[in-house]
Amino acid sequence: MRRKTTRHALLYAGVVLTCAILVFPIYWLVVTALSEPSQLRQLPPSFWPAEPRWGVFGQIMAERPILLWLGNSALAAIGAVAISMVVSVLAGYSLSRFRVRGGQSLGLFILTAKMLPATLLVIPLFGIFRNLELIGSLWSIILAHATLIIPFTTWMLKGYFDTIPHELEQAAMVDGCSPLGALVRVILPVSAPGLAATALYGFVLSWSDYAYARTFLTNAQGNWTANLGITTMKGEYISNWSDISAASILVALPILLIYLFLERYLVGGLTAGAEK
Amino acid sequence: MPGFSLDLARPSRRHWLGYLLLAPAVLLIALIIVYPLFVSVDLSFQNVNIARLDQPRRPFTTANYERLFASEDFWNACWVTFKLVTIVSFFCFLLGLSTALLVNNRFKGQALARLLVALPWAIPEVIAVVIFAWLFDSSFGLMNWLFIKLGLVDQTINWFSSPDAAFAVVCTVMVWKGYPFVSIMMLAGLQSIPEDFYNAAKVDGARAWQRLIHITIPSLMPVIGVTLVLVMLWVFRDFSIIYVLTGGGPLKATQSLSIMTYEQAFGFFKMGYASAIGVITLIVCVIASRLMIARAPDNI
Repeated sequence: MRRKTTRHALLYAGVVLTCAILVFPIYWLVVTALSEPSQLRQLPPSFWPAEPRWGVFGQIMAERPILLWLGNSALAAIGAVAISMVVSVLAGYSLSRFRVRGGQSLGLFILTAKMLPATLLVIPLFGIFRNLELIGSLWSIILAHATLIIPFTTWMLKGYFDTIPHELEQAAMVDGCSPLGALVRVILPVSAPGLAATALYGFVLSWSDYAYARTFLTNAQGNWTANLGITTMKGEYISNWSDISAASILVALPILLIYLFLERYLVGGLTAGAEK
Repeated sequence: MPGFSLDLARPSRRHWLGYLLLAPAVLLIALIIVYPLFVSVDLSFQNVNIARLDQPRRPFTTANYERLFASEDFWNACWVTFKLVTIVSFFCFLLGLSTALLVNNRFKGQALARLLVALPWAIPEVIAVVIFAWLFDSSFGLMNWLFIKLGLVDQTINWFSSPDAAFAVVCTVMVWKGYPFVSIMMLAGLQSIPEDFYNAAKVDGARAWQRLIHITIPSLMPVIGVTLVLVMLWVFRDFSIIYVLTGGGPLKATQSLSIMTYEQAFGFFKMGYASAIGVITLIVCVIASRLMIARAPDNI
């Protein structure tokens, strides 16, 4: 009996220590944001802000176009997710329900498309978007993000539709629904949680992008996304770590919230096309 | 409407509708992935500085590839990439697998522990860079203070001006950002191992470490294989962490193939040459993902 208690205590100690070390960088970000800049230049460092300056977030929004950046990121993500959801609901349904010639190879290609290096794709895309006069416009990253997302969402949704019994649509079609009507009226309502998780996953992918934004938007300050804006703050000669941390928290917050909601579905998203 | 009804259960359910539903996806992927890929392969065989599609293409030449294989920078980038992929993947696995095994035990607060362990996954890469750039700041960073406190060094390290130190910081950020993915995948794998295996082993008197070596690891093997390929590919392709943290410096110590591609294309505007580097990375990526798909045949 006693051995069991010791083992349990050891396990707890291990878990607490591991979590503390691994989550510490995030904690440090929050402490840095809430500390006075003068306090950050003291050694030994204080691991708790003496007088947390909660006003830092309001102040940073007043000083920098953070809200504009966040808005641009949101616009780009919503646009990209909207396009990719429409496209991948249709494609995922087709791959799940129809024996389309070439469907197999398309599926394979979609899996491979997730693995392409962005640094290579940005070069021709830069040329193409320049021709279309999209450089500097949010549309350039909406389109680029959509194709970044579609391979993931198509595969996630195909897997999700596979779990829905065919009898559902058949019943609807017996009642006089067309195949598309069955998809819209029966399948989509049933798969609402899966659709939401997939859309949020796409949102995370778009929100986290830096490569495309850096390439297509550098010279269009008004269209900078949050990640791009943050990196310009980091590049300044005198880095005010307190302000950068506060801005970073605002940028990371939406994704953190999504993660808390999505945790249960996360495995499905990450393993889409990779699970046995 | 008998003429329009469709029996989806029929084995030969080939139907025009299936093609129609795929059309938008195929069209978009063709326009923004396939066509650009052709363009970049095409560019890599031309002497182009700035890619302009509205001008006639330059004559075919293999000069970019010849220059590439003769360039010391390219081999340096290959070596840096190789080191990164090996070191980061190894530590991601070490940390990811051990945290997964740790929080897979039953205890109160297990759900919270799982949430916390995978938390860095939810931090955008650029933000992770900000956090660590501050932690490793040469004047007031916490790491220098900690290292001196522990007596590991006797004076502050200038992390971003020494090649080895900068490389170590890049690896640290990547491991911190990458291990949660391994944890999540391993936890999913651990969940699927039947409890009976362990019970039978216990009856036979197997010790904990024997259970780990003989049951857990072999059962996880397929998941480990796929996860390993995905992690290696992520490190291989990653751009934002290195670019924002060090820009490939100091002295090209952290210039991976991705960074070199980008530098050549948008730093020096040598897009033909950059495409050649990109095509080499593309070939590696395609081979790696093919390997992965071959290992997991039943997901297609």
